Amino acid sequence: MQTLREFTRKTKRGNILKIVREHYLRDDIGCGSDICQHCFQNDVYALTADHDLQSSLFKYPHYLVLDTNVVLDQIDVLEEDVLRNVIILTTVLNEVKHKSSSIYKRINEIIHDRRRNFYVFVNEHHKDTYADREPDETANDRNDRAIRIATKWYDNHLKSSQVSKSFQRSGRQVTRVVLLTDDAGNRAKAEAEDILVATASEYVKSLSDHPLLADKLSHKTFANEKQALPQYPPHLSLREILEGLKQKKLLQGSFQASRENYLEGNVNVEQYEKGILIQGRESLNRAVDGDIVAIELLPQSEWSAPSEIVLEEKNVYADDLPSEERTEEEKVMLQQVRAAAVVDAERTPTGRIVGIVRRKWRQYCGILQPSLIEDTSRHIFVPADRKIPRIRIETRQAATLQNQRIIVTIDNWPRNSRYPHGHFVRSLGPLGDMNTENEVILLEHDVPHCKFSEEVLSFLPKMPWTITPEDYAKRVDLRDLYICSVDPPGCTDIDDALHCRELENGNLEVGVHIADVSHFIRPGNALDKEAAARGTTVYLVGKRIDMVPELLSSNLCSLVGGVERFAFSCVWEMDKEANIIKKRFHKSVIKSKRAMTYEEAQVLIDDSTQDNEIAKSLRHLNRLAKILKKRRMDNGALVLASPEIRFQVDSETHEPLEVEVKQLRDTNSMVEEFMLLANISVAEHIAAEFSECAVLRRHPKPPTTNFDPLIKAARYQGFEIETETGLSLSHSLDKCVKADNPYFNTMIRILTTRCMMQAVYFISGSLQKEEFFHYGLAAPIYTHFTSPIRRYSDIMVHRLLAASIGADSTYAQLLERKSNEELCHNLNYRHKMAQYAGRASVGLNTHLFFRGKEEDEEGYVLFVRKNALQVLIPKYGLEGTLYLKTDKDGKDGHERAKSTVVFTFSEEDHTQRCGNVVFHSFDPVTVRLSLDSSNVQHEKLVFRLVKPYIKGFSVETGSESAADVAAPPPTKKTKKNQKKK
Amino acid sequence: MAYVALSEAEKTFILHGVEEDYRCDGRSRRDYRPMELETGLVSNASGSARLRLANTDILVGVKTEIDVPHQLTPEFGKLEFFVDCSANATPEFEGRGGSDLAQELILSLKNAYESPFAFDYRSLCLIPGQQCWKLYIDILILECGGNLYDAVSLAAKAALFNTKLPRVTATLLDAGITDLIISDNPYDCTRIGIETVPLLVTVCKIGDFCLVDPSAEEEACSTVSMVVAVSQRNNEAFLSGTHMTGGGSMHRDTMLNCLQLGLSIGDYLDKLLVKMLKQEQERVGPKRPKIVGFLK
Repeated sequence: MQTLREFTRKTKRGNILKIVREHYLRDDIGCGSDICQHCFQNDVYALTADHDLQSSLFKYPHYLVLDTNVVLDQIDVLEEDVLRNVIILTTVLNEVKHKSSSIYKRINEIIHDRRRNFYVFVNEHHKDTYADREPDETANDRNDRAIRIATKWYDNHLKSSQVSKSFQRSGRQVTRVVLLTDDAGNRAKAEAEDILVATASEYVKSLSDHPLLADKLSHKTFANEKQALPQYPPHLSLREILEGLKQKKLLQGSFQASRENYLEGNVNVEQYEKGILIQGRESLNRAVDGDIVAIELLPQSEWSAPSEIVLEEKNVYADDLPSEERTEEEKVMLQQVRAAAVVDAERTPTGRIVGIVRRKWRQYCGILQPSLIEDTSRHIFVPADRKIPRIRIETRQAATLQNQRIIVTIDNWPRNSRYPHGHFVRSLGPLGDMNTENEVILLEHDVPHCKFSEEVLSFLPKMPWTITPEDYAKRVDLRDLYICSVDPPGCTDIDDALHCRELENGNLEVGVHIADVSHFIRPGNALDKEAAARGTTVYLVGKRIDMVPELLSSNLCSLVGGVERFAFSCVWEMDKEANIIKKRFHKSVIKSKRAMTYEEAQVLIDDSTQDNEIAKSLRHLNRLAKILKKRRMDNGALVLASPEIRFQVDSETHEPLEVEVKQLRDTNSMVEEFMLLANISVAEHIAAEFSECAVLRRHPKPPTTNFDPLIKAARYQGFEIETETGLSLSHSLDKCVKADNPYFNTMIRILTTRCMMQAVYFISGSLQKEEFFHYGLAAPIYTHFTSPIRRYSDIMVHRLLAASIGADSTYAQLLERKSNEELCHNLNYRHKMAQYAGRASVGLNTHLFFRGKEEDEEGYVLFVRKNALQVLIPKYGLEGTLYLKTDKDGKDGHERAKSTVVFTFSEEDHTQRCGNVVFHSFDPVTVRLSLDSSNVQHEKLVFRLVKPYIKGFSVETGSESAADVAAPPPTKKTKKNQKKK
Repeated sequence: MAYVALSEAEKTFILHGVEEDYRCDGRSRRDYRPMELETGLVSNASGSARLRLANTDILVGVKTEIDVPHQLTPEFGKLEFFVDCSANATPEFEGRGGSDLAQELILSLKNAYESPFAFDYRSLCLIPGQQCWKLYIDILILECGGNLYDAVSLAAKAALFNTKLPRVTATLLDAGITDLIISDNPYDCTRIGIETVPLLVTVCKIGDFCLVDPSAEEEACSTVSMVVAVSQRNNEAFLSGTHMTGGGSMHRDTMLNCLQLGLSIGDYLDKLLVKMLKQEQERVGPKRPKIVGFLK
C-alpha cells in the first residue's frame, strides 16, 4: 500500500516548495510480543512474559507505550534497569530525534540493549496504525493521535491472541498495554478512547518494588509547591527573540558564568571583542553556563566594569527563600561595583539576558548539601563546577548520598525559584576516592572515557601481528639504521624516533621516524570515528585515557626498542650548519636500536668514553638542535614558561607521594627541535600539495590589549616590554632580569604565557596565507605530525602526506573541506578540555598531597589584587590567593585581622600597604600552606603569610624559625610551554 | 497543426455537412464533442488538471514559486505558460517540430490572460514591490484531436482552480524588509480566484459557415479560424482577446458573426466548467482522494 506525505518547505533562498514523498504501508510488521499468534516475527521476541513489574495501578501484566514527552523528560528513569517490555513507536522516536539528538542517542542505546526488552514498533508504516494528517490538525496533534491509535491497536491485537481456549486454560492473566504520557490533553483523549493511561510519575511511584526510582523522575513542576513570588523577569518567547535578533534589538551569544563571582557572567557576541558583561541576579535571569542566550544591551550610562571581588555563594537551604540579608548583600555588592565603575574608565558593554535561545544543560557532578531539616526529600545540590548554580532536587536517599559524588541534571528553572530544579541521575562513588575524583574530572571536562566498544576493537589487527613481504616491498627498509627514541621515563606510547648519520659527502642525514598509526586506522571505520571523536589522549596524574586502544598505542604503533615497526619517516640531508639541502618523506620499516629516557640520552652524550653509533648520532643531533634552536630564537620564537610539576604516585593507593618540578635537559630540547623541524617541513609540504584542505596549526598574535597586565606589571619594576613583534617581545623578555630576584624572569614569562592566545587547528582553505602564522614558534606555517598515537590531528596530517607522496590511497573525505573543518573544531575543543582536565588532575593531587600537612614555602607575589595577593609557589608550581581583607563571616579563619590590620590598596602602582610593609608584584614572600577541608567539595589550599611578618596578620611562627622549613630558592628554569606548540 | 491526410472528396463531404448543420459526427455547428476532466491528479504539482476532448488529450500542472514583482507592475504577481507538444501526439512534433505551435498557444493564452479584467494578477502579489507568487503553468499536449486552443484553455483554468498556494504570513523587519513564514499545515492554503480566468473558443470558418470545436479533419478543411478569448465579469461574458489563425481572410460581417458566436459559446462553456469543478471539489473534499493503482 502506498500513500503520500505532503509538506511545504522554505528553501534558503526564500523560495517555497511543495515536497511530496511516497510513504509505503505494510502488513508484515510484527508486534514483537511472544503472546501474539498472528504476527510474523522475524526476530527474537522483544516483549516477553518473563518480566513482571508490580504496579499498584495496573495489577496485571502489561506492556508500556511511551509518549514523546516521557522519553524526553524521563530518560534517566528509562535508563535505570527497571522498566521492561516497553514499546517505542517510530512516531515517538522521530519526534525525539527532532527535539534532542543527545536523548535520541541515549534511547537508542537502551533499545539496543537486548536485556531491556525495548521494542521499536514501526507504527508509521503499519497499515493499521498509520495516521494521515487531518485538515485543521497540528503536527503535534497528529503524532499524539498516531500514538493513541498504535496503543489501541496493540491492546486489541494482543487481546485477540489471548481469547483462545488454550490460553484461558493456562490461567494466565491477560496482558494489556498501558500508555504513559505527561500531556494532559493526550491523556484525556486516551481515557475517552478507553486506553489504559497514566502519567510517568504516577506509574513510577506505583512500582512497589522500586521506590528509589522516583528520585530520577524529572519534575517539570514540584508538587505542592507554595507559590512563591517570581524572582526573575520572564523570558521572551522564542518568536519574540527571533524577531528581536532580526531587528538587531537583541544580541545572541553563549553565556559564560564567572568562576569567581556567582553574580557575574559574560556573553560572547560576535561583534564585541571582549564579550558583554552581565551583572546581578536579575540580569543573569536564570542563564546557566554554556547556554545560548539573547541579551539586550543596556544604555551606555548603565555600563559597568567586571568587579574584582571574589564572591562565592554561601550555604543556602532548600527552603529557597532568599533571606533579606542576602539580597541586601547582593545589592550592596552591585552598587559598589557600579560606583567603582563610574570612576573607572574600564567600563565595558553591559547587558541583561532577556531570553534563552538554547539550553546547553548537561549532567553535573557534585555533592548534596547537608540539610538542616531531617527527613526532608528536598535537597540542594552543589555542583563541582563553580560556574553552575546550585540545583534543587528531590531524593529519598539523601542519607546514603551524603558523602558521595553524584550526578544531577537540570529539568527546568521556573521564575519563582531561586535555583533550577533537577533530579538525581547516579552516584559516582565515595567522596575523596581517587577513582571517583578522576571520574569527576573526566565528566566535567567532557572527556570520552568509556571502554572501546566491541565494534571499535574489531578493527584492530589480529594478533599475532606480523609484517608480510608485501609490507616490506611497499616500504623503505631502514632497519639497519641506528635509530633510537628518547622519551620521558615510563613512556609506553613512543611515537617518535630519530637517527643521524654522516654521508660520504660530509653532510649529515637526519631522520625523524613517526609511528605509522594511519596504517592501522583506516579512514571511516568505527576505530577511526572513535579516535576522531576522542581527538586526543588525555593525561591525568597516574592515569592515561587513550585515544586509540592499547594494543595500538602501547604495542603495534609504539616504536619500542629492538622490534620492527612501521614508521612514517621524514629524512633531511643537512650540512654541518644545519641547513637543509634535501628532504624526503616516505613510509618505512624501522627497528629502533634503543628506547632511551631523556636522562639516559644525556648521560650517553656527556660520557666521552662512549663511542658507539648511537652516541655519535646523538651528539650530532644535539649539536644540530642547538643551531636550530638559536636560529629559531633569532627569528623571534618565544621562550614561555608555565610552572609544571610531576607527582610521584604511590603505585597502590594512587596517592601522590612527592612533588617535583619537571626536569629539563638538553635532550628534551634536542628532541623538541627535530619534532618542530619535522612538523614545519610537513606543513610546508602538505600546504603546497593541498592548498584547500591541509590540516595546519596556527597561533594567532594576541591583540595588544592582552599584554596590558604584563606591561603594567613590568613597568612597576622598571622594565619596558615591547609587544610590537614576537622578536621585540622576546628581546625585551630577555632583558627582564633582576639580580636580587632570580625567579623574576620566569615569572615575567609566566605572565607572558597568560597573554597568549590559544593555538588552534584549521584547514588551509579557510584562511588567508598570512594568517597561517604561528606566533609562539615564529614559524610561517606549522602543523602537528609527530604524535599520531595521542593526537588525531597528526593522523589527518599523516593521511594527507601519504596521499601526496602516493604511499596511501586517497578517499573522498580526505579532501572535503567542510568535514575536515568540523573535525578541526572538535579537535580544538578536545585539546582544550584535555588541558583543563590535566590541570584539574594536578590540582586534585596537590590537594591530596597537602592533606593533613602544613608547610611553609617560599613564594612570589604574582599579582596584587584589591583584596588579595596572588602568590606563586615555584616548588609546586602552585598558585593561590592570600586574602588580605577578611570575609564578613571570617570564613578564611583570620578574623583577628579585622580589628588591627588594615591594608590599603594603591591603584596607581598596584601595591598593598600595611604599616611599613609594602607588597609589590614579584616580591618574595613566605607563606604557610594548609588544606582547608571545610568545604568537602572544594577543598582548597589556604595561604597564610609568614614573612614579611605583620603583627596580628601573619602566622605566629613561634619557636621554630621559618627559615628552617622554607625551601631553598628554586633554580631558575625556563621551559618552552608545551601547550602552545 | 497536426497533419491529416484528407482527399478532395472527403473535404467536400465535410463542407456539405457543415452547410447542412449536420457534421460528420452528428453535431450541429454550435456543439462540442464530449469532454472528460479530472483535477488534482499530479501530486507533485500545486495544482493539475487533465482534459480529454474526444481525441485531444491535455495535461496541465501548476508549479508555484516566490519571486520579486516586476518593477513596472509592483502590485502584480507573475504567470508563465509553457507548452510542450509531446511527440506522442503526432510524429510531426518530434524534435523541435512542435515549437511553433507551442509558441502560438502560449502567445494566445498570454494575450487573453493579460487583458485588463481578465485575470487578476494582484491576487498573486504577497508584498507589493517585494514578493509575489510566480505560477508556472506547464501544459503538456499528449494527443492531438483538433481544437487545441479550447482544450488547453479549459485545462489551464481547471488546473488553476485546483491550485493550492501554501498560506504565507509576512513579518515586517527593519528597513522595510519582510520575511515570509509558511504555515506548517499542508491543508492550510489559499485558492486562486478563477471567475475571470479567460477561456479560448476557436471559431472555425468552413465554407461560408462558422462552427466551434472543429475536429482535426474539419481543421484541415478550414482556411481561417478565429480564436476568441472570453472572460467573465459580473456574471457577464466579455471579450478579452482575439487571434486569427490560418492563411485565409475574413469578411467583416463574418468576423462579427464569429465573435458573437464565440462569446455566447464561451459564456456557456465557462459556466458549465465552473459548475462541474465545484461539484468535483465537493465530492472529493479537502483530503486528497486515494489514488487507485496496483499498490492499493
